[in-house]
Amino acid sequence: MSLQFLQILWFILIAVIILGWATMDGFDYGVGGLLAFIAKDDREKKIVINSIGPVWDGNQVWLILGGGAIFAAFPQVYASVFSGFYLAMMLVVWLIIFRAVSFEFRSRVEDESWKKRWEIVITVTGLGIGLLLGVALANVLRGIPLNKEHVDFESLFSLLNIFAIVGGLISLSMFLMHGSVYLVMKTEGELQKRARNYGTKFAYAYIIFTLIFLLISPIFAPRLLGNGLGILGDFVPALMLIGAIGVILAMKSNSDTKPFMFSVLSIVGTIASVAVGLFPDIVPSTINSSYSLTLFNSSSNELTLIVMLIATLIGLPLVLLYSIYAYKKFGLKVKLDEDSY
Amino acid sequence: MDALILARVQFGLTAFFHFLYPPLTIGLGALLVITEGIYVYSKNEDYLKITRFFVKLFAINFVVGVATGIVLEFQFGTNWSQYSAFVGTIFGSPLAIEGLFAFFMESIFVGVMLFGWNRLSPKAHWVSTILTAFGSALSGVWIIVANSWMQTPAGYKIVNGKPIMTNFLHVVFNPYFPAEFTHTIMGAWEYGAFFMAGVASWYLIKNNKDMVMRKALKVAIIAGIFISVAQIILGDVSAKEVVKYQPTKLAMMEAQWHTQKDAPEVLFTIPNESQQKDYFSIKVPYLLSMLATGNPYGKVMGLDGSIKYIAHKDHITNLKPSMFPVDAVYTTFHIMMYIGFYLAGIMLIAIILYWKNRLYDNKFFLKVLWYSTFLPLLALEMGWCTTEIGRQPFTVYGLLETQNSVSPNVTVPDLVISIIMFITIYLILLSFALFLFKKELKGRLEGKDEVNTKPKEA
Repeated sequence: MSLQFLQILWFILIAVIILGWATMDGFDYGVGGLLAFIAKDDREKKIVINSIGPVWDGNQVWLILGGGAIFAAFPQVYASVFSGFYLAMMLVVWLIIFRAVSFEFRSRVEDESWKKRWEIVITVTGLGIGLLLGVALANVLRGIPLNKEHVDFESLFSLLNIFAIVGGLISLSMFLMHGSVYLVMKTEGELQKRARNYGTKFAYAYIIFTLIFLLISPIFAPRLLGNGLGILGDFVPALMLIGAIGVILAMKSNSDTKPFMFSVLSIVGTIASVAVGLFPDIVPSTINSSYSLTLFNSSSNELTLIVMLIATLIGLPLVLLYSIYAYKKFGLKVKLDEDSY
Repeated sequence: MDALILARVQFGLTAFFHFLYPPLTIGLGALLVITEGIYVYSKNEDYLKITRFFVKLFAINFVVGVATGIVLEFQFGTNWSQYSAFVGTIFGSPLAIEGLFAFFMESIFVGVMLFGWNRLSPKAHWVSTILTAFGSALSGVWIIVANSWMQTPAGYKIVNGKPIMTNFLHVVFNPYFPAEFTHTIMGAWEYGAFFMAGVASWYLIKNNKDMVMRKALKVAIIAGIFISVAQIILGDVSAKEVVKYQPTKLAMMEAQWHTQKDAPEVLFTIPNESQQKDYFSIKVPYLLSMLATGNPYGKVMGLDGSIKYIAHKDHITNLKPSMFPVDAVYTTFHIMMYIGFYLAGIMLIAIILYWKNRLYDNKFFLKVLWYSTFLPLLALEMGWCTTEIGRQPFTVYGLLETQNSVSPNVTVPDLVISIIMFITIYLILLSFALFLFKKELKGRLEGKDEVNTKPKEA
């Protein structure tokens, strides 16, 4: 295998791992973000939380894997982006910390105000992560001021530009849509009806923000115009819209699982659009395009990429096997018992 | 204050705090495999009760461990970007492989284990407990691969000033890996045993007819005696590896300023780093030479000699004795070592008392066990400090200095903000975790979890 082939393969694999995270952990954050709005009483709250109760922790490992895979395959990207986005990364980490303990802590004390507080934590962390994902990706798409040594000295506030905020709204509405369709799958009755309603609304929001983003891209990120895989690249964002329209139509069809499938399609479209928009860069430099980190100048050596590839080929099927087992054991619809959160 | 010191403070703080939790996940996980296994094969409900009760404590500990662990994986990039760019091509792979092979297994099956009691057969449930415990230990394997590589880098060559991997197996089985891994995992098991023993003792102090907790204590001390003795042996093995590969670390651990032929073991000292001598010390002649080389007149490299040695071996010219934190390394190492001996002694007494049928009524000794619950954790943390501070002034021993590892673009204000936030968040997490532990302990006492008091075995 040539180094170049491995580099391109790893670029795709990283995109697949991020897709795995957005698909699997995305509905965890979406469900979390919906919690304060969608559940009317304590029993419904329990159902909403326990829809992800036994699986959120396994899903979160996709994020760990993503971090590790970027570190191993593209160490310079890991170093430049994580240090360049320092305070934003810290914010993400703090949100994840609180999200990780919130379900367990909430369930341990039978006290109205204690539970209420942790429900707010669950909702805020869900919304926060949903928003920050898009903010981060949009900034990378636009490019960051990497200098010759690939170091980015910008401040937290320069990350909060209009382009990035629209990107954040796309990912936020995407996660909320994804959480809603997940709840449609996992719940019944009134709660499910509300989830259908929310899912449709967030699918519309996702479409609108995506269109706005596409419209303002030429102004904020001109590099996107001449980049990517030419004509093919233009069709990838269409997947986003097809998926979301599919969600809206499937919501009307009374199917419990179809909306989820279409939502996955729109996430595939979103992550693929980012990947195609970047290729062959990973982190474009706004100072000078020759300072950009590309998948060719920032990767590990051939042996590391081969070792990692072998590990992935053995490891990922195992992960899928465990996941299928776990999801099967807990069934489609949430059933509460004394061990539930 | 410069950014380098703050970055080190933050790393130390977050690593120290994270490391409060995974050892219990690994250690208590292993004991739960035993207790649930006994239940599955003997059908004795008491062992199911032990398992179900300790799983509640396990779950609290587990989530805080998961929450604080994420920080560490990101922190190499955020705070140590030069380090990450320098060694990521080697150091990143064990982290990614850890996620893929270990952390997924642990995290998926922990959900099945915690929520699957009514959905799985006892045997299938036991398997998910085993996979959770095995996954957590396997996580330990890959994390120690990464860390031991920083201690004794291997399987690489330098190309354009950066190390690149030449042999993956040499990276994984670098010289220090076997000793560091076994010593760390044994420490985690030791903590698991003392945790179960301590909690069981607490209940037996309140009610010595608590047959469920009697069994828990029995399992814990039988496991504990083997583990705590093995740990002393593994500690010796680890130290001998340090003698071989990290002479500056050994000099710091033992406060040996100068190379000597009949080196004494320093039992206690107040080191004076600036003048490279002791203010005051108690020494046992010949003992260190004996331990390190097997010969009372064996040569042990002191700080002066070992600095010259690595300066020559790794072509590093700027090393000064003042760059080596003897004080911290000596102190943490000796606290760990003394606790290790104490723990083995306690387990020995426990076994003798059990043998003579006088364990469950001995309130004084049960109190000793209860107060010793968290001592193995202190030993683990101290050992970790010895390993990490003892590697200074390097991040990768002999290859990359700490001052050249830090992120150049993370400023002092950035770090002040993040350190304050971490301290705040971690204090909140710690106090909540302790509060919930206490609540679960008391909850069982109040009979929320039925306590089996029928005198079956007494």
